[in-house]
Amino acid sequence: MNNIEIQYKNKRVALIFSILIVLLIVFFILDVFLGSVNLKISEVFQALTGHSGSDVETIVMKFRLPKALTAMFVGIALSLSGLQMQTLFRNPMAGPYVLGVSSGASLGVAIVILGFSAGITTGNLHGLGNWALVFSAWIGAGAVMVLIMLISSRIQDIFVILVIGLMLSGGISAVVSIMQYFSNETMLKSYVIWTMGSLGNLTGSQLNVLMISVTAGIILSLASVKMLNAFLLGENYAMSIGLNIRFSRSLIFACTCILAGSVTAFCGPIGFIGIAVPHIARNIFRTSDHFILVPGSMLCGGIIMMASDLISQMPGTGTMLPVNSITSLIGIPVVIWVILRSGKKSGFA
Amino acid sequence: MMEIKRNEILSLQALNIGYNSGKHKRALLPPVSATAKKGELVAVLGRNGIGKSTLLRTIVGLQPALGGRIFIDGRESSEYSRLELARKAGYISTEIVRASNMKVCDLVAIGRFPHTGWTGSNDPEGEAAIASAMDKTGMTGFRDRYISELSDGERQRAMIARVLAQETDILIMDEPTAFLDISGRYEMIHLMSGLARGGRTIIFSTHDFNIALNQADKIWLILDNVLIEGSPEDLVLSGAFNSLFDPGIVSFNYSDGTFSLLTEKRGKIFVRGEGLIRDWTIKALARSGYTVSDNYSVPYLITPTEEAGKWVIVLADGSVEFESIYSLAEWLVKNSNLIS
Repeated sequence: MNNIEIQYKNKRVALIFSILIVLLIVFFILDVFLGSVNLKISEVFQALTGHSGSDVETIVMKFRLPKALTAMFVGIALSLSGLQMQTLFRNPMAGPYVLGVSSGASLGVAIVILGFSAGITTGNLHGLGNWALVFSAWIGAGAVMVLIMLISSRIQDIFVILVIGLMLSGGISAVVSIMQYFSNETMLKSYVIWTMGSLGNLTGSQLNVLMISVTAGIILSLASVKMLNAFLLGENYAMSIGLNIRFSRSLIFACTCILAGSVTAFCGPIGFIGIAVPHIARNIFRTSDHFILVPGSMLCGGIIMMASDLISQMPGTGTMLPVNSITSLIGIPVVIWVILRSGKKSGFA
Repeated sequence: MMEIKRNEILSLQALNIGYNSGKHKRALLPPVSATAKKGELVAVLGRNGIGKSTLLRTIVGLQPALGGRIFIDGRESSEYSRLELARKAGYISTEIVRASNMKVCDLVAIGRFPHTGWTGSNDPEGEAAIASAMDKTGMTGFRDRYISELSDGERQRAMIARVLAQETDILIMDEPTAFLDISGRYEMIHLMSGLARGGRTIIFSTHDFNIALNQADKIWLILDNVLIEGSPEDLVLSGAFNSLFDPGIVSFNYSDGTFSLLTEKRGKIFVRGEGLIRDWTIKALARSGYTVSDNYSVPYLITPTEEAGKWVIVLADGSVEFESIYSLAEWLVKNSNLIS
């Protein structure tokens, strides 16, 4: 209770934040330098400053830098949306991928790619308008969020929600399969490539759309820290301490859909980052305070996503692994750990 | 319109509580009226499902009233914004807060919600309110404990610390003693009456008649079609509690405010003896179905004195001795034919 203790704790939090920021920068740099071709520092520096038109400049400016930025923003976006869903549903198993929100977004995308664009010629994805793509993903994500919200207001059991999320994902992929059956070859190909999930296929304008959407999501998240803290108490107590439930739920809701939807629109479904990172952040900072958890999850998410990207490139070799498998391998153990712990502590979020 | 008295911090006027599902309004009770003054500890009593929780939730604005008015501090509660209401009345129910890595100090700090800005961080005044709330509830030593690791009693104290940090004049508590063991209940009620003496008005629902009768300044007794308010003693003397219980099963003892189960009547017996031993022996007799006869007659019972002796039943043709009340009670149940 004394001031020294509080100061010590603030120092600890500040120290962890500093370490995470350093790690974020380090992984960003590594992500730019390492890949199928490892670059020298001087070459990269030249490429960043000059306009030599060399191969290295092409690699850095056209591939590595956009990819590292994409990885960072994807990590931030998925982690934040996971954190918000876990708090909003008061459910440690909530996350955009597990509960089918990413699937919802992909249904939105599928309708655009396979359905409406059927008449449009090649250059489909690019020509169609990235905002239209993102918007349809938000709508799809929102639809699933509403469904889960309706169900979770009746059933509190975390595992029931999990199963329902699986069912929703399954149902949506069935619908998408049927749509694939009726679509032409070009559309099918661009859709299948999209579903494999990738950080490296974004065009410059897509990256811009992603960064703008995610930045908007980050601002909304930072603005809603106090509301998120109140939601930890459950809706009754939250209301009794003066929270406007309908307004704050809609705000957080919209924020989650923008974050998870935008990522899914451009990178495909990327699993387990959204569910795992908030747990990692909670356990690093040992707090439930969203004033710390929101920036904390952002940093952890950015770092882990860039690290996953780095691993998937298998630096030094010519091979590339799908980034989705790396994030799953990182995320799944965390999820299992949370399940084991929640079994022990009876539904403890 | 009824007049609001100055010191009445809470006044319910023809309040109609219940649920409103679309077109159908389902009222739980006819309109009820009640008041509470500053610094009063008010117990809300009534059978399960009669609407105690609904009443409390309606007062604190968690669900809308179907009709009637609620005045808080002289102003109608519908005129308050949600935040203003949260600065006037705090709420605790039996719902348990589960959040991972939440420490007691985090929980209590969230109580400052209606007083803080958008970041939720506290100024020195807020920190002082948190510290004082922890101190009053004896939670200062627990500030860094995770709420998931607290016992039921500690968790309830942490919840009260949270609502104290909210700094409201009125505390609404739905069954604050529900999960607690006997000593926990008395600690809780001690804490609550201390807070009431400190000037807060506490409205709490309970099923514990003993606590309500002995500790509450006022009781709001909800019966099937009416809310009766008054001091516990007034309600006892007016016979208001009678209708709460099935007279065939439970009897209310008007002299000491306790309840007892009615058992099969076996007979009457004269008891010779005095003091504590006699009193407790009579309790056992009552449980075995015997009442105490005022007039000497055979057979009769002699209770031991403080120093020594045994329980003796003197029959017309001899006597039976007992080492303990337990064996006495056992004999009485088996041999009821010997006693008129």
